[in-house]
Amino acid sequence: MLAVILIVAFGGAIISYLVGRKSSELRNILTQGIWIAIVGLISYAHFIMPVSSVYYPDFLGFDLALRIDSFSWLFAITIAGLGTLAIIFSLSYIKGRERENFYYLLLLLVSGGMMGIVLSGDLVSLYIFWEIMSWSTFLLISYSRGKALAAGLRYIIMSVIGSGAMLVAMLSLYANYGTLHFSELPSSLATASPTYLIFIFLLFLTGFGIKNAILPFHTWLPPAHSEAPAPFSALLSGVLIKMGTYGLIVVFYFFAGAKLFLSLSNGIWSFHYILCALGAVTIVIPTFIAILQNDAKRLLAWSTVGQAGYIILGLTFGTGLAFVGGLFHFLNHALFKALLFLAIGAVEYRTSTRDLNSLGGLIKRMPVVFVATVIGIGGLIGVPLTNGFFSKWLMYKTLILEGNPFLAFAAFIGTWGAILYSYKLIHNVFLGQLPEKYKQVKKAPLSMQFPLVILSTAILVFGIFPGIAINQINNISTALGFSPLDVSLWGVVSDTGMVNTLNILVAFLIVIAIVWYIFRSGAESTRVSQADSYTAGAPVPQGKYNYTVDFYNPLERMMRPYLRDRIDDLYSGIAEFVKQLSNKTRKVFTGYVGTYVAYILTLLAVIIMIQLGWNIW
Amino acid sequence: MVMKIVGIIFSPVIALIAGILMLGMTRKVMARIQWRYGPPLLQPVIDIIKLFYQKSPSHGVTFGAGVIISIAGAIVVFLFLPIGGLAPLSEGGGCLLIMYLMLVAPLGVALSGGEGANPYVSIGISRKLILGFAYEVTLILTFLAVMTQYGTISIVKVVEMQQTGRWSLFSWPLVIPGIAYLLILPAILGMRPFDVVSAPQEISSGPNAEYGGKYLGLMTLESGLSEFIGIALFVNLFLGGPNLWGAISSLQNSGLVVFLGVIVFLVKVFLVYFINILVQAVLPRVRVEQAVKYLWTWPAFIALVGLIIVWAG
Repeated sequence: MLAVILIVAFGGAIISYLVGRKSSELRNILTQGIWIAIVGLISYAHFIMPVSSVYYPDFLGFDLALRIDSFSWLFAITIAGLGTLAIIFSLSYIKGRERENFYYLLLLLVSGGMMGIVLSGDLVSLYIFWEIMSWSTFLLISYSRGKALAAGLRYIIMSVIGSGAMLVAMLSLYANYGTLHFSELPSSLATASPTYLIFIFLLFLTGFGIKNAILPFHTWLPPAHSEAPAPFSALLSGVLIKMGTYGLIVVFYFFAGAKLFLSLSNGIWSFHYILCALGAVTIVIPTFIAILQNDAKRLLAWSTVGQAGYIILGLTFGTGLAFVGGLFHFLNHALFKALLFLAIGAVEYRTSTRDLNSLGGLIKRMPVVFVATVIGIGGLIGVPLTNGFFSKWLMYKTLILEGNPFLAFAAFIGTWGAILYSYKLIHNVFLGQLPEKYKQVKKAPLSMQFPLVILSTAILVFGIFPGIAINQINNISTALGFSPLDVSLWGVVSDTGMVNTLNILVAFLIVIAIVWYIFRSGAESTRVSQADSYTAGAPVPQGKYNYTVDFYNPLERMMRPYLRDRIDDLYSGIAEFVKQLSNKTRKVFTGYVGTYVAYILTLLAVIIMIQLGWNIW
Repeated sequence: MVMKIVGIIFSPVIALIAGILMLGMTRKVMARIQWRYGPPLLQPVIDIIKLFYQKSPSHGVTFGAGVIISIAGAIVVFLFLPIGGLAPLSEGGGCLLIMYLMLVAPLGVALSGGEGANPYVSIGISRKLILGFAYEVTLILTFLAVMTQYGTISIVKVVEMQQTGRWSLFSWPLVIPGIAYLLILPAILGMRPFDVVSAPQEISSGPNAEYGGKYLGLMTLESGLSEFIGIALFVNLFLGGPNLWGAISSLQNSGLVVFLGVIVFLVKVFLVYFINILVQAVLPRVRVEQAVKYLWTWPAFIALVGLIIVWAG
């Protein structure tokens, strides 16, 4: 069953590549069919899980296996859903661009790789799929060449470092315990010394943390997200970086177990608390940087770094509420960030720019995209009745009641900063004046609107009925040893307070209805053009009154000096140093045979001298 | 149950009346300070009724929807925020929910104003968000200090606990965040020296520049409600809500307790507001950068010290 899913995913990728060389229409139908089938298969797996199957028995003394349980199912269904939507979105986005076939092959390989990661039952399979995912990601990021190539290179260098760290951890585990199977590692690690555990944790933290873009491993993410093709940016931000989150949960909570992980400390600093602090820093700094961005996708990319901080904070804080909140936020972030990237992709597709300083006023031209973006931003900020509210509420509550107001403060600042950058995004793209050159912009094509509609519906459904998702996540956290929550369809009840979306929904509906009625009964209003009331009908030079450039100018002037990415500077410095060192080393190779002969003779002479002088050999 | 229904109906009504009266009070008190007679106290009511009979320009669906969402968001806050003994839905969500519900109104204005495409509106909203971000730092810190001190996220519990003990503003260590809140209150209310958002002489009332007729009427109501929210939060968190040194809660008749509680609550609100009008009357407007610099230094510092003392104690 599980092997079938992966065979469909990978086999489908290759078959559609071959088919695509003959007919692109057939390939488009095939790719969509494959991923809709995978969504179906994963949904079916919900009813038969937990299930595991061995696909390669006795590899180095343990079985290579696939497995699915409620935890990996949550990730699998998110990957399948977003993957399908990204493929549908690609239909018109990638049409007519070069190397279409190659693009689809890689997109399917990445999605398949991610699916493989979450279905893996041992570290070896996980590592294999991890590499498939990483390398196809590299090729996809650099799909547009030019700047994208540099972004991709930056990504793959960090990714390789991360894989190296993972490999070391795996070898160490294998050398010590002789197994890398998920079900056998917990019992082995239960007796491990704390020092060894921290060693293993740090290695995995490097490996998975780079993917998850935790500070200070975040520098690859902003260029990669902004340069990749839009549907892939959505996947990248929505699920791909969460593979890091997945890995961390597996290592911390499945291998070591909640009890061991949370008790790991040297008396003053506990390990999980340091991770929380890291999460808090990851929330705050990128939020401020995001406010300064003028490239729509770069802004969203920095926001992704910040939101990933919430997930890390929630997952490592170590209470049931925080864990549920963190995991729910993973799902929510996948939905709203994918939506926002796709929406910006649709805008970019029609206007061929994503520069926030030159767009504006597209609300009348792309109404569906506008409404979807508003809903996505609602989720990002966490406006009540959208999904982001509930996950953040759970985290805030536990952070405050467990006596960690400073972590809560970081989380709040992240939200209030999000208001600034997300309003900038929506204002500079959709509101304000429409520049002359975009007067003729057409609506987004249907294949782009469809994923947006689906995602915004999902955001509202999870916002109004959080119980649907929380129930599932609650099972996971209970299985990991956290105390269960009392979940209803509308929210969570606990002894320290509850939240109920039903109240909020009904209150809003009734009040809006009353206000709307009063509004209707007032005197009529006439529709006037945008220049009409502002200049009282006098002719004005068009395009001169567009206040989108430097939207937060006063704030930016204050903050910019403090917000240089020092970590990025450090990495670039190291890269530059290595480059110069290599350049110097290269000078040794002159290309003349004579020089090489001279090197050999010198070396021989030195050896003979050493031998004569000290008589070593 | 009866109290709940009474609360659901009366809380927003009380808030609307109080909000309008606050607008009228500003004009009257300012006039008296400037040795003028000033308009009658109910002038804003007359204005709003008049505005509803005036024709108005519109710029599209979002232009109207944003206004409706904005005022609905402001009204919904009062179903969750206690006014005296009235707190119809406050058991769900607590302070955190209120903080988030407070966002809906500004976002509605921002969406609606954005479609107006007036540069003054854009500048005004940009300033509003910057100013909001600046004072929220302090506001969050004071909220966290109160919630940590009382060990609850429910605002009703916070009010109850002040009933038995002293008001937070007069108790150690909450007096420190209380002072910080007082320092940022003019910014929350958008009054001088922090009226950079509306700034009539600079940017033609900022976010309100494009509105006329019923739009302007609703936005006037919204601004009254927002001011009331800002002070009501302060009264609930730091001035003991409806409590009057145990004088009212000792009465036997529960209906009377609620009624007098609301009266006491409103008196406190208007007193705090009066002080802010006095501040507004004597101070000139600052620039946005100056406002941010001020809000991120002294009030934030005091609030942070307060939170550290609460957390350590």
